[in-house]
Amino acid sequence: MNSSVQKKQGLIGLLLLLILVYYFLFKEWNIFQSLLFGTLFGFTLQRSRFCFVSCFRDPILFGNTRIANALLLSLAIMTVSFPVIQKIKFDATGVLVGAVYPTGIHTVVGALLFGFGMVIAGACASGTLMRIGEGYLLQILVLGGFVIGALLGAGTFEWWDNHFISQSPVIFLPELFGWVGAVLFQLTFLLFVYLVIKYYSKKRSLKI
Amino acid sequence: MKVFFTNIFIIVFKKTWPFWVGGSILAVLNILFFALTQRPWKITTGFTYWGAWIFQGFGGRPNNWSYFQGEQKMVALEQWFYSNDLSILNFGVILGALISVLLSGQFKIKRIKNFKQAAFALVGGIIMGYGTRISFGCNIGAFFSSVPSLSFSGYVYGFFVVIGAWLGTKILLKYLL
Amino acid sequence: MANVKIDCMYEACPIPLLKLARELKKLEQGDVVVVETDHSCAILNITEWAEKEKFDYWIDETNQGEWDIHVRKTRLK
Repeated sequence: MNSSVQKKQGLIGLLLLLILVYYFLFKEWNIFQSLLFGTLFGFTLQRSRFCFVSCFRDPILFGNTRIANALLLSLAIMTVSFPVIQKIKFDATGVLVGAVYPTGIHTVVGALLFGFGMVIAGACASGTLMRIGEGYLLQILVLGGFVIGALLGAGTFEWWDNHFISQSPVIFLPELFGWVGAVLFQLTFLLFVYLVIKYYSKKRSLKI
Repeated sequence: MKVFFTNIFIIVFKKTWPFWVGGSILAVLNILFFALTQRPWKITTGFTYWGAWIFQGFGGRPNNWSYFQGEQKMVALEQWFYSNDLSILNFGVILGALISVLLSGQFKIKRIKNFKQAAFALVGGIIMGYGTRISFGCNIGAFFSSVPSLSFSGYVYGFFVVIGAWLGTKILLKYLL
Repeated sequence: MANVKIDCMYEACPIPLLKLARELKKLEQGDVVVVETDHSCAILNITEWAEKEKFDYWIDETNQGEWDIHVRKTRLK
């Protein structure tokens, strides 16, 4: 392990932080904010080796559940926090914020494609960006594919909208259970998933 | 005192963080991001803009497409890689990962091994990209940010990603191993 | 006591562990498989699996961003 190479890399890493300083001083606030958060996301992803593909694939393929459990914990932390933000905004302005989308056939197909594609490509969206940062040239190809596929998807979006999306309901859980009820429901559901994964991973591990 | 700084040094510079720590930090970051910008983390909409801008560069006119109708998207079409917040957000993730790997001295360019690997990567990417537009996002936008937003679409998405991943694994084992 | 090296450089996440499992299957108790990898995800993958299967393992960082993961086919009662 070459310590001088490590020092050199470390120095370059610190110098790159100056980009953030530059954006802070000279760019609009929302642009700087996006760069800052992106950098924090990326740093955290890489440092904890957080690979979403592992979350979805490893419990089934290897019986490894550690990362899936970490994801469930993440979701739980956000579950008790996001609705607070949503409720405050909704009570003040009547606008619902957050990643709330219509649920329908398009969701099923899109998710199947995404799950299939991510295992084939070896990375998901966040993982692709993370790996490019780590120096994987292969993930640049994945990114290229993403851009092409996304453009094709946007181009054909109208078809999906006419046939499925516009007829699909937006199922916002607080409409069914109330704000508190929805949060409790979701926490319980996450716990349920945790237990299911725990049970099934014991059965489906990669035995030799 | 010295021990304290040494430990900070190790944690920031060297150590791999456990998954639960990483996951918790990502959650807190997303909460802060959502609180500050009113829009939780999403990635592939940024990719779509990249594609649209390149397409426009070649003379395409995606502003007629149904997908881009709507104020935010129309505004985005007029922007560019460094002036759109979702685009910068994505560059930030790359930058953050790069800084992390440099600070721990583990940066290495990893080449492409063979054609089969490259083909799987490209095709996988295209399939994912397409899937994200019709389901409104990727593992982040349609799941990581959507489930906490109490949208049932996140549940459905997560479930079928698992199914899709299972199918993909079958193919992977057959052709790439 | 055999010692098999498998080159998984430039290969993505599940492949190194799958190859490791395939090699370990062929070997005897006490044999060691060494996985050469540059994929940080794969290390976590492999070590979690090895812990579950109760196999001994140890890791050498041979270069910047390159590792040798040694896994011994043991059964700890």
